[in-house]
Amino acid sequence: MKGLILKDLYNISHNAKSMFFILLFFAVVFLPSSGTQGYMFTCTLLCTMMIVTTFTFDEFSNWTPYALIMPVSRENLVAGKYIVLVIFSAAGTLFGLLAGLIGTRIAGNFVSVSGPADILPLGLTAIASLAVSTICGGMSIPLTFRFGPEKGRLLVLVSFFIPSIICYIVYRLLLILGIVLTDELIVLFLYCSPLLALVWNFAMYRISCAILSKKEF
Amino acid sequence: MTTSTSTSNNILEIKNLTKQYPGFLLDSISLSIPKGSIIGLIGENGAGKSTTIKTALDLVHKDSGTITFWGQEISSSNQIKEDIGVVFDGINFYKTLTPAKTGKVLAASYSQWNSSQYSDYLQRFQLPADKEIKTFSKGMKTKLCIAAALSHAPKLLILDEATSGLDPVMRDDILDVFLDFVQDEEHSILMSSHISTDLEKIADYIAFIHKGKLLFCKTKDELRYCYGILRCRTEEFQRIDKSDILAYRKEDYQWDVLVADKENAKRKYKPCVVDDATIDDILLLYVKGERIK
Repeated sequence: MKGLILKDLYNISHNAKSMFFILLFFAVVFLPSSGTQGYMFTCTLLCTMMIVTTFTFDEFSNWTPYALIMPVSRENLVAGKYIVLVIFSAAGTLFGLLAGLIGTRIAGNFVSVSGPADILPLGLTAIASLAVSTICGGMSIPLTFRFGPEKGRLLVLVSFFIPSIICYIVYRLLLILGIVLTDELIVLFLYCSPLLALVWNFAMYRISCAILSKKEF
Repeated sequence: MTTSTSTSNNILEIKNLTKQYPGFLLDSISLSIPKGSIIGLIGENGAGKSTTIKTALDLVHKDSGTITFWGQEISSSNQIKEDIGVVFDGINFYKTLTPAKTGKVLAASYSQWNSSQYSDYLQRFQLPADKEIKTFSKGMKTKLCIAAALSHAPKLLILDEATSGLDPVMRDDILDVFLDFVQDEEHSILMSSHISTDLEKIADYIAFIHKGKLLFCKTKDELRYCYGILRCRTEEFQRIDKSDILAYRKEDYQWDVLVADKENAKRKYKPCVVDDATIDDILLLYVKGERIK
């Protein structure tokens, strides 16, 4: 499986330079209005979306049948994609955090990070960004396995839209049940979001395995 | 060479393999590959050669039948995949990778990967390690795939039209590499190819698939020394014993008849000319000719 991950990282490294400039452009656009937290969230989402690009490369080079004649199972192949997804998301979060802090310093609206009170919001945003983006990206994986990267590019929008719809339905349900979303509840939700992402992605992993097990090459 | 060989001597055994697609049936194929041998798989486009190979490799799901490598199913253990080197028609690495990076990916995938052997093959095939694959010719890409397939100590090489992109000189070199490979009697090669001269040079057995059916699997020497093409006029053709005819075809001024025993045909049908049959001749007569029902 290490080979599968390495292959995706090598392939995407060719696009890394253009992604770097896109993220810098977004820094100029978003940092003044959204601050480090908003920018970090944007970077994480954008980097997560690169998972669909790896499928495009795989299709272009007819990689999947070759991967399956290597000593890896179809489950390994799916698991590799989820690990790459987490790597992309984490890289986006880290870049967003560092570039955000540097950018706000350059822009003059730098908020110093000196104690737990300053670190907590950034940490929470990082966790939430990772959770939300892996939830969205995690859904794009079975869709791309099922429909291919061309349609998958369009469906990636669906995969980012459906979790938003689910969040909205949960929010409405809470309102109907009379539960008011206080700051404490939101913070609690953010703390729990990695667990939610884990459960969601495990379900998506199983669905992807089921899709891939039926595929022929 | 097919199912008569004992199980322990076979690297690959395919029994009654059936796979149906709309408009195509791979019909109960049985084939086995003994250790130390090279099997050439021939047949027209769409005959079922690649489907047979892909089904054996579990890339296509079979409808029925059994496929075992060293007595085990391919999905039962990763070690089986370690021992199989595969080269498809076309490269499977993304165009921005280099042979050096490809080697690192494969080194991380195969526990038996031999980096120095891979470097030797890159040198031998004159492949620059740090150049992107997109700058390579088709022949260079094929050579890279062959280098990759040979560098994880496989015992079985499966080649699906692997030599099709190579010039005659390089093809000859590669065929020598394959011949070296089977010097180890534990090694075998299953090779599908349209280039019959390659198979005539290195194959021990020829398996002929036509319209999803295995028509025969015979030693190359049997085809070379026993099969012949009897050329005759219409009145001579009508006198030929039907049991002697494998396939026939009407040409402009003569009938071409494929026979399994050319010496017997020479004796039996004296006025007729009996020529040696090449693999191409046999394939053409089976595919384009007719057979006695």
